[in-house]
Amino acid sequence: MALLLRTFVRQGVCLARPQCGVLYRHAAPMGTTAKEEMNKFWAKNTKLNRPMSPHVTIYKWSVPMVMSITHRGTGVGLSGAISAFALAAMVLPGGFPGYLDLIHSLSVGPFLIGLAKFGISFPVSYHTLNGIRHLYWDIGKGFKIPEVYRSGYTVIVLSVIASVALASL
Amino acid sequence: MAAIVRLGSVCRRGFTPLLYQSTLLSRPLAVPHKYQEQSHLLTARIHASQALNAGPGSKAASLHWTAERALSILLLAMGPVAYCSPGPVIDYSLAAALTLHGHWGLGQVLTDYVHGEAKIKAANAGLFLLSTVTFAGLCYFNYNDVGICKAVALLWSK
Repeated sequence: MALLLRTFVRQGVCLARPQCGVLYRHAAPMGTTAKEEMNKFWAKNTKLNRPMSPHVTIYKWSVPMVMSITHRGTGVGLSGAISAFALAAMVLPGGFPGYLDLIHSLSVGPFLIGLAKFGISFPVSYHTLNGIRHLYWDIGKGFKIPEVYRSGYTVIVLSVIASVALASL
Repeated sequence: MAAIVRLGSVCRRGFTPLLYQSTLLSRPLAVPHKYQEQSHLLTARIHASQALNAGPGSKAASLHWTAERALSILLLAMGPVAYCSPGPVIDYSLAAALTLHGHWGLGQVLTDYVHGEAKIKAANAGLFLLSTVTFAGLCYFNYNDVGICKAVALLWSK
């Protein structure tokens, strides 16, 4: 982990503050940064206790919208699962094969095992394939609305096929 | 890796310096050129703004974006490699790539939904802790247990 030590000098600060020993050489009208403006906005909202306009509850859902939030949902879910696994690996006694044998001994039917495998492989497939779609957008392609829908449906269909294929392995 | 603990550096924007409470917003004085404020006390602090300390004209955010996409592509490539030649090298690489991809992804989620200086700071600190624990756990698993590739293979064999 790099600890970045910034040693840039020269700063225009409050003239009214005498304890600022920082030298300043430039005095110019300040614009606020986007971050500062955003923070001011949210602080004001909180202070005035402003209600939020309905948004997701009233706007018509579209395929791209649903796919986008699903991409986020699968991402967060998969991340959480990995973190839970990592934590369990450190905390729980014994090794991985032991816990697998435990699950084996429960003799869950093949259908439920297949379902569980599908439950794992679908988020992975969907997030991966939609991730490729995102990378495609990142190189600047496929933004026309028909293209968005076409690539979207392709991702959905391929995800289902891939998850079923993986689950049946 | 994003460093959130910084020594002696204060970003001019979006951050309350230790020495004085007034925000730079209240007194319109700014330098249009590239610069950073020099703190006279070397203090460590968790900052609320971008982990990569950005002044005006900084390319930090842009480079972060590119790094995110590069990592995604790398992670995509690791899939087939993990399938074809499993082993400790790919195990540890996967641990690193997965954790970092998740860390950056969750970071974007937090940026979207968490507002307010203090909350952002707390959320990012929590995320950093989570990612550290996750990476530690995955490395522990790779070292003391069967390893990621083998684990997936075993899990799927039933």
